[in-house]
Amino acid sequence: MKDFDRRWIFLAMGIVVVSLFTLEKPTEMPPSEYVQSYYDTIEALPEGSIVMLSADFDPASAAELLPTYQATIHHLLRRNIRVINVATWPAAPPYTRAGFDEIAPLYGKAYGTDWVELGFIPGDDVAMGSIGQSLRSAYATDDRDSTPIAELPLLDGIQDRMEGIEVLISMSAGYPGILEWIAQVGGRYEVPILTATTAVQTPDLFAYYPTQLSGFAGAATGATQYLQLVTVDMPVAVEGEPETLVDVKVNNQERMLIQAGAHMLILLLILVGNLLYFFTKGSR
Amino acid sequence: MNMLALQAAEVPFFDWTSTNTHLSGWLICFFTLAIFSFLYKDNPFYKIAEHVFVGVGTAYFALQYYNEGIRGPIVEHIDRATNLAPNEFVTLGGVDVDPTVAIGVRLVAAVLGLMLLSRVIKPSGWAPRWPLALMVGIYAAIKMTGETQSKLVQQIQGVVKDGGLTVPDSALAWSDFMAGSGSITQTAAYLTVGKIVLVIGLLATLIHFMFTFKRGAGLNAVSRVGIVTLMLTFGAMFGFTVLGRIALLIERVENVFTFADPNYAVLGESAYLTPPALITAVIILVLVLRKMTGKDVEAT
Repeated sequence: MKDFDRRWIFLAMGIVVVSLFTLEKPTEMPPSEYVQSYYDTIEALPEGSIVMLSADFDPASAAELLPTYQATIHHLLRRNIRVINVATWPAAPPYTRAGFDEIAPLYGKAYGTDWVELGFIPGDDVAMGSIGQSLRSAYATDDRDSTPIAELPLLDGIQDRMEGIEVLISMSAGYPGILEWIAQVGGRYEVPILTATTAVQTPDLFAYYPTQLSGFAGAATGATQYLQLVTVDMPVAVEGEPETLVDVKVNNQERMLIQAGAHMLILLLILVGNLLYFFTKGSR
Repeated sequence: MNMLALQAAEVPFFDWTSTNTHLSGWLICFFTLAIFSFLYKDNPFYKIAEHVFVGVGTAYFALQYYNEGIRGPIVEHIDRATNLAPNEFVTLGGVDVDPTVAIGVRLVAAVLGLMLLSRVIKPSGWAPRWPLALMVGIYAAIKMTGETQSKLVQQIQGVVKDGGLTVPDSALAWSDFMAGSGSITQTAAYLTVGKIVLVIGLLATLIHFMFTFKRGAGLNAVSRVGIVTLMLTFGAMFGFTVLGRIALLIERVENVFTFADPNYAVLGESAYLTPPALITAVIILVLVLRKMTGKDVEAT
């Protein structure tokens, strides 16, 4: 087996993923406690509350985080919650712009009063600490058309030390991300924190829930569960119409079966590898 | 072949305002396939994709950092501060300060930045050491306070509070679960067992890393439990990593399959859709790669 060409494994994985993809079979996922808490925390916010939504991801992790990001924007705006957008990853602002430009008009929301786009801030942890200490110092202008933030009505009630912000939500793909927000803002100013993370980062989060983290949607699985909760009252998608959040949900549900198939293949390979190891142990 | 397959009439060839164009479709398919071709072996297609990715990424990041790190906080900030009305203040670090002070602080930051860059001209000079020392000191202080609070104090609080065995008020009674409401993971019994496992696992892992004195048989046994806990943790982390990578693969496949839409057909709605073209492209790629030697790849 030492001469086994690993490219056969890649080919097998490709065949499994492509063949299951053609099935287009959505799989319903029961929401986990963590995802339910993420949803319930937003549901419990009074109308008109202000939430800070931080885009801490880039195209490499958009497959896992973009669906939750879009669903969160829908969820917040539908509940008339106002949103301050920030980003600690340089490639994140285009997602913020595209997301709000597409979704905000559906709920009749206006820029400046219902949401603002403050954009990317360099400095990782230091920048997060700076936002927590004083948002007005961290950002002089918005990212949309360089309007001084003193002229943005949404920020009128925001004080230093996160006062006026009900919840901080981070779409976290790694460093800097949710762990840095918890360290620099959550622990210092006691603002409730929610997050959606990539699968790689998810195992780190269980230790923070529920004391330092009010809820989280981990990986594509968490995203699917959250999408199901958010789209429960939304009309069914229509064939040929522009893509809606319901389409995104169905896409994610279809991915679950493919994911399960790919995982089964990996488990099988691990099993075969171990069996071969033990059976050939004596002959070596 | 892929490019041919994407010559649809209903989608524009190129449009700055839209990502749904033939050109973007071609690029998406080409670069996806080019990157995946590395799984077969290193080749010029992969090299092209790699270099384009690095080049585009560097350009984008450089522009973003210039915009948000120099133009906004220094150029625009100073411009605004110099044009303020009398008796108006600038907020700096949460404190309202005189515009002259604000400009001075930003200029000091700019000078420190330039001192850091002087390393390019004279690597062993004294100038870069000052901003570097300042950065390391500030960063260490910020990290230490935040991390200590979140990863030590609050974590310990979470574990030791009521012996670490508190379950939320919303936890279900076992009788409710037996009566058919909720799942077993929501019951107080399940959560309590989970907490016990957590506390035992935590203590055993800590004991595993205790090297202060020679361990006896008892502590060695506990240490073994710690090893098992660590292995389970690493296994879970590996599982989640695989989960993430598979999600990315699925997204790529989904993205490429988007161009199997009838809109992208060459001759009408049913003929020459993208998948056949993709398969042909892959076959051509494999044939080309089989003929290539390591030297050819190096030459590219």
